[in-house]
Amino acid sequence: MSELTRRQFLKVTGLSLVGSSLALMGFSPGEALAEVREYKLTRATETRNTCPYCSVACGILMYGLGDGAKNALPSIFHIEGDPDHPVNRGTLCPKGAGLIDFVHSASRLKYPEYRAPGSDAWQRITWDDALDRISKLLKQDRDANFIAKTPDGLTVNRWLSTGMLAASASSNEAGYITQKVARSLGLLGFDNQARV
Amino acid sequence: MAQRILEPGEIETLAQRSIPRVRIPARTAVFARRAARLRHLGARAGIGDYLRFLAVLVDAQHATLQDLSVPVPTPAHIQGSTEHGMPPLQPAVWPRGDAWFETLRILGEALAAHADFPAAVAQTVSRIRRASRDWIEGQADALLQSGDEAVDAAAAPLVMASLQVHWAAYAASFAAEKVSPLDVPGVCPLCGTQPVASVVYAQPPYQGYRYLHCALCATEWHMVRVQCTRCGAVGKSIAYQSATLGANPENDGSAAQSAVRAETCEECHGYRKVLYQEKDPGVEPVADDLASLNLDLLLGERGYHRASGNPLLWQPDGN
Repeated sequence: MSELTRRQFLKVTGLSLVGSSLALMGFSPGEALAEVREYKLTRATETRNTCPYCSVACGILMYGLGDGAKNALPSIFHIEGDPDHPVNRGTLCPKGAGLIDFVHSASRLKYPEYRAPGSDAWQRITWDDALDRISKLLKQDRDANFIAKTPDGLTVNRWLSTGMLAASASSNEAGYITQKVARSLGLLGFDNQARV
Repeated sequence: MAQRILEPGEIETLAQRSIPRVRIPARTAVFARRAARLRHLGARAGIGDYLRFLAVLVDAQHATLQDLSVPVPTPAHIQGSTEHGMPPLQPAVWPRGDAWFETLRILGEALAAHADFPAAVAQTVSRIRRASRDWIEGQADALLQSGDEAVDAAAAPLVMASLQVHWAAYAASFAAEKVSPLDVPGVCPLCGTQPVASVVYAQPPYQGYRYLHCALCATEWHMVRVQCTRCGAVGKSIAYQSATLGANPENDGSAAQSAVRAETCEECHGYRKVLYQEKDPGVEPVADDLASLNLDLLLGERGYHRASGNPLLWQPDGN
């Protein structure tokens, strides 16, 4: 079996070419070896993902460039349907087919922003500030409007003044956790984003 | 233009239901396409004279295959292989008989008839002609990875080319839908040989699918994209590297246009090339793999290993 591995896993070098079929048959690898100096290795990636738009969850392939180095930003230059994906078999709807413009949009939301009541300007805030503010407001609203029992004494534990729309492109497991979080708060107005 | 209204049930009928898993080589096309591609690439590649030499060899393969009759596997043999999950045309099991010696002689003559090749070509041909059958059989076993003699790298392309003609003929007797898949995606479902490279086709019904191309029988089989064809790794360990000209190929967009890329894997540090028909409609696995030798050299310098060799270019054992 060692023979097998040795032949199946080979490294191509200038030295190995000198003993190859090409050289032994009287052809010269010299030009090929010289030509190599003019070329440069460039690295591209193909990354599987799920379209973020709707609950059909089409598979996509994102084509990117970049050497994977920490200081170089990878750039996505093309997105298409994943032909191997059982849901969409390489196809995409017009919205999905335009995903590349979504990725590179100048007005794409990349971080939390806050617009104070009465103001016309958005200001950037940190994720911590955003989550603190959201949880405070949710708690305030829930404390004020939570209904534990109906007037005739029936236990309902519901919270009707807030609704929740969860994301698409979630796995079953993420959907399960979302459901647990929403229902344990007593939320009834709840949907998993599907038809946008 | 008037919209056509589909009747109930028509969408299901028109939609392609499943990925075509296997592409069987066509006797009339497999070597003809390869020879034409070798000539085309021979005009510009660094090893152009070797590619033009191989074009003559592949022409002879094409001519020999046209009226070659071979014994085809019986239904009982195919069923037996299927039951055990084995490829039916595995070289270690499937008897290759004596007929291929005649093919080897014909291919040798075709090469010897060309006076403008280097003298070593004629010498190799006559060396094979004088060689004992045992030696030739030993070489065939070594090339098909069922023997342990050292490969004679000069004779190897010629011996392999003869075997290819016969295995392509065996493979051509199969119908694609009758080929049972193996549980190992990295080897040919018909003969168990490792692929030379893979192709992502641009034409329906194969559009967007990646097929591995068998180095021996030229059968092609589907394998999911963005997955190492050697170790099966997926995700971030897979990258596509190409050899590009230009001062700044990553920024001027030329890196995105390459028709030949190496699918490199950081798990096993191996690679196999992927050809994109969308970028160049003429791509042919054996020919384009050879013509992109510069990519192999660049990757070799970075420590990447080829997952398997090219059937028409052999390196001495031990490399």
